[in-house]
Formats: sequence, structure tokens, C-alpha cells
Amino acid sequence: LPRPTVIAIVDDDHSVREALTSLMRSLGYVAIAFERAEDLLKSRRRRSVSCVIADVQMPGMTGLELHDRLVASREPIPTILITAFADETARERAMQAGVIGCLTKPFSEDDLLACILLACRRERTNSLQKSGATPSGYEGVPYALLG
Amino acid sequence: MKTAAAAPEEHRFILSSLPPGPAQRRLALVVALILLVTFLITAGGPFSKVQLPQIGAFIPAYGTAMLVNDLITAVLLFAQFSMLRSYALLAISIGYLSTALVAIPWMLTFPGVFAPAGLLGANPQSTAWLYILWHTGFPVCVIAYALLKEADPARREWRGSVQAAILSSAAVTAGVVAAETFLVTASEPVLPPLMLDDKIRLSPAWFYAAGAVALLILLALVVLWRRRRSVLDLWLTLVLCAQLVEVNLISFPLATRYSVGWYTGRVCGLLSGSLVLFVLLYETTFLYGQLLRALLAQRREREARLMTGDALSASIAHEVRQPLAAMITNADAGLRWLNRASPDLEEAKAAFRRIATDGHRAGAVIENIRAFFRKDAGSRTSLDINEPVREVLALKRADLLAHRVSVEAELNDQLPPVKADHLQLQQVLLNLITNAIESMAAKDGERMLCIRSRVHDSSAVMVSVEDTGTGIETADIDQIFNPLFTTKSDGMGMGLSICRSIIEAHDGRFWATPNMSQGFAFNFVLPADNRIPSAPLSRQKRVAPANTYEY
Repeated sequence: LPRPTVIAIVDDDHSVREALTSLMRSLGYVAIAFERAEDLLKSRRRRSVSCVIADVQMPGMTGLELHDRLVASREPIPTILITAFADETARERAMQAGVIGCLTKPFSEDDLLACILLACRRERTNSLQKSGATPSGYEGVPYALLG
Repeated sequence: MKTAAAAPEEHRFILSSLPPGPAQRRLALVVALILLVTFLITAGGPFSKVQLPQIGAFIPAYGTAMLVNDLITAVLLFAQFSMLRSYALLAISIGYLSTALVAIPWMLTFPGVFAPAGLLGANPQSTAWLYILWHTGFPVCVIAYALLKEADPARREWRGSVQAAILSSAAVTAGVVAAETFLVTASEPVLPPLMLDDKIRLSPAWFYAAGAVALLILLALVVLWRRRRSVLDLWLTLVLCAQLVEVNLISFPLATRYSVGWYTGRVCGLLSGSLVLFVLLYETTFLYGQLLRALLAQRREREARLMTGDALSASIAHEVRQPLAAMITNADAGLRWLNRASPDLEEAKAAFRRIATDGHRAGAVIENIRAFFRKDAGSRTSLDINEPVREVLALKRADLLAHRVSVEAELNDQLPPVKADHLQLQQVLLNLITNAIESMAAKDGERMLCIRSRVHDSSAVMVSVEDTGTGIETADIDQIFNPLFTTKSDGMGMGLSICRSIIEAHDGRFWATPNMSQGFAFNFVLPADNRIPSAPLSRQKRVAPANTYEY
């Protein structure tokens, strides 16, 4: 079996963080949750993360700033933003900055999963291209769906 | 009530789209009068026919000043173009760039300044022809500017790269000036002579050329005047006036170089070259200060927990969406745990417990919102309605200044007190004043906010907030208190319905009427607080003058 896919969840709201962690684990992903964006950047498990789900409005570093920091680092991680403010201009700015998706809370499981699959595919394709292998097309598909 | 045609937020702070204030108009009138008096004294006064000595340093000093002035103006205008991308601004930037560049050959070819016959292989006619071309190019650019800024909105803006537009137009302008210089220095026979052989007096042909230039400037003046809107338009009009005076003074009453009229004309030329620069610099500094103040006021507003309807509705939406998102995600997770090949009941139970907690949290959010508007006698005090009016006016002062709205406050000092929640009344007034400013920012013309307080039916207090804004279509009047109605493209329209809820919770009445001349008036009436028979109590409380209230 391949290594399980690790998803990082960054949200200052306790309920949303717990709910997302449970949903990710129920799908067979390994979920690690952070209350602040800075904690993820400092974390030693950062290198194992395939995809980040981050809230936009957080005290301290925002989700978009986190994405920018990840892009600027040597090992960018595909990022999905979630927000409780339905602001179209902010959404467009985030998409232009290259995030995988920007979902308005409350979002549907299908939309979130589509974004995660896209993120994992992009992440795995990037790392496989480095090692010269060809992608299988099933990257990031949770075990619950494969089985 | 912002309409769809309103200028985007950031354009309100840009000179070329800002309407001039009354002080600006007065200053422009004074400058115009000075120009007129200068012209009359110089052309008709006793010194009009005096011939002054030829001052060697005058031409290079004047030419350099024009070059530097117009170049800086052009750079500032190009900068505005890069922000607004309007073709009109590009046209006027090119106008200034061309006058700056043509000053160089004009200076160099002037006979007896850098060389006895002028540099660049000049002939005696070159300088005078350059002068004519110089003063032809600018009014043509002004006409282009005036026509382009009124063009079809879809075609008013440059869509390509700003850098490419600026570089290519600068290159073309430089090319045209070079070609003009070549034309007047290389081909004397083609153009009729404008100077007589003594290189001092102007020939009869000069009057035709200068007359044509004067007519062109006059045409530009008329075209621009009919389309005047912004601060930039106002001062460009004056620049054209100064140029008209300049061209006339050089030709009348003595058509010679180095006469009193000739020198005065040059001074007018310098003035015309500097006007827009001064105004651009002054306005930039002024607007910078405004923005700083607006930023600080915004922060104060936030700290004061005062919110307009839009901000309030966005914040309510945010508070409700968080638990909703958690509930939906938990439900999805619970289903996933149950749908596994071997269902994980413990995880599923935990998910359902979290759903219940989040549901209670959502309920608490709704309860808080309701409490915000509920009739709560505890937080109500007996107060003078003028106090929150003055406080909110002080709070919005920077915003009012930035939008050049003049305020007329007719506050009756003899009002009976009302029993009300101070913060909620501030909320109502803040919503009304913010709406009025937004409505007036959407149109040109006079911007006047009028706030009145008076006794109503002997036992109530009435406050009205009138604006000269866009108003509301008659068909929409019944709709404005609908919480989801808005004429704004970016609002949820909760402001007015919140205002009405608050006033009605105070046993008052809230209604809207179209303003006498234009715009809209919002009025509310609150019953006077009868339990306190003597008004002086509320006066004693007001130790500090209300207009010095700061958060």
C-alpha cells in the first residue's frame, strides 16, 4: 500500500477544525490540525503534507498569506481556502494567487473532495516529475473511495 | 443609495475624477481675474509700448523652467493614466510632454542666445514657427482630452499594457517634436516668414498664424468648458485662458520681441505651465492627508463597535456560517463513519454530539442578534438627541471632507430629552449619514448634507437627514425598508431596515421622503422622555462641549 495522504487543516474556529479533521479521517486521510498558520509553518510534519485546507480570516497570518509563504518556500503545498465571508473580489484574488479552490462556508463535501483530489494530483505529479516516474492517475484518492 | 454608475471607490481620491470644491472654484476665479487685469493693464496701460532691453539670460531661464515644469506635470499625469487607464488622461499627458519637449528646440534656436543665429542650423524664422507649433499642439491635446473623457464608457479605457502605452506615446511625441524642428529649421522657403529681417519685429504673416492659434485655444476652451467636471478640467480651463492672454500679449499692441507685452506674455506662459503642476502637487498632498485621516477614522469606527448595515449583515453572516459549516461537515463525517465496511460507531457518535453543540452555538448567535435590537430598558438613558448627532458627524468628518460634502446642521438646543439607547441611536445616524455620502458620491454637482433636529407635535423630537444625492426611483420608495432591497451593487441593504427596527423599538416612527429639490430625506421621531419633567438634567450632564467628543 502507498503512504497515506496527509492533509493539514488550519482554522482558528474550534468546531470547524474538529469537524474537518473527523471528515478527513473518515475518508482515510491522515489529518493534522493547526489553530494558527504560523504553527503549520513551524511544524516538523510540514514536509509530509500533501494538501492544506486553510481558513481565510484568522488572527495573525491569514490563509492567503499562508499560501503565499508556502509558494515562496522551496516546497510549496497545494492550498484550498475556506471562508465565511462570501466576497467575490477576495475569491478572485485568491484564485489568481494560485490556490486550488476557495470555498464559502458552509461548503459541500463533494466540492471539498474535488478540490482535495485536484490538489493531491498536482502535488504528486510535481514530485513524480522530479523523480522521473509517470503518475498512475489515482494519486490522493482516499482509501474509502478506492476500496 | 449608490447607483451602478458610481465611480469605483479608489477613483474618488484621484484628481482627474474629483469634482472641485467651492474653495477651488473661488481660487480659480481669482486667478482668472488676475489674468484679465494683467492683460488689460499690459495691453492698454501706459507701458504697453515700451521696448525693454534684451536680457540674455531670460530665454534660457524661461525655457528651462517650462521644460522642467511641463515634464513633471506630464509625469504626474502619466501616473494618473496608469491608475485610471483613461485615454483622455493619456491625451493630456501627451499635451504636456509635447510642450516640454518643444521648449528645447525653441530655446536652442532662439537667435542671440546660444549662438548669434541660434543652434540646430536655425534660420531667423525657426523660433517663431516653433512657438506657433508649440501653442497648436497643446490645445489640440486638450480638445482630444475633453472629447475622450465623455466617450462611450466601454471605449474610454486602455486595456493593454500601461507601460507600453506610455512608452510608445512618449516616443511618438518625441518623434513629432523632432519632425517639427526639422521642418522649421531645414525648410525655410516652405513656410511664410513670421519675423522681419531685424529679428525683433514680427511680420504681418505672424498675425494670421497667431490669430489661428488664438482661435484654436478659444475652441479648446469652449469644448472643455462644456464638459467640465473635475478639478483637472477646472485648472486646464485656466491654463487655456493664460495661453490666450499670452498669445495676445505677444502680438498686441507691439508686435516685437522684448516689449513689455512680450515679457508679460512669457510670464503668463510660465504661469500656465505651472498651474496644473501646483494643483496636482497640492491635491496629492491634501488627498494623502485625507486618506490618512480616513484610515484613522475607519479604525476608530471599528473600535467604537459602530457598524453600518452592510458591515453588520456581513458580520452576522460570518457568525452564522461558522457553526453551519461545522454542522454540515460533521454530518458528512458521521455518514462516512457509518458507511464504512466496518462502521465506526464511536466516531459517528462523536460527530453527532458535535452537531448538537454547533446547533446550540448557532442558536446563541441568533439570540445575540435579536438582543441587539430588542427593546431593552436597561441600556436606555435620558439623553439629548443632538449629542449622538454631533458625535456621528465628528466620526464621519474625514469621510465627509474626502467626498467634499458640506454639512449644514440645524440643531435645536432647546429639545426635550428622549429615553434611548445611546449606541443604537449612533448606529441609526451612522447608517443614514453613510448612505447619504454614498448617494452623493455617485453624482456630480452640489453635495450638501443637512441634519435638522426639532420639536415635533410638542411631545416628541424629530431628526431629519437630507442629502442632495441620486435619490430613489418613485417605484422603489415602498421597497427601501425591505431588508434585502438595495440599489448598491455591493450591499445587502440591511441598513435602513435596521434603522427602522431600532427606532420602532423606541416607540418612534421612521420614514423617508424625497428631498425638495433633489436627493432624499430620512426622518425619525422619538417620543420625549416625560418622566423627567425638567430639561436641565440632561444639560448638566453635558460638561464637555459635544463637538469635542472623540472616541
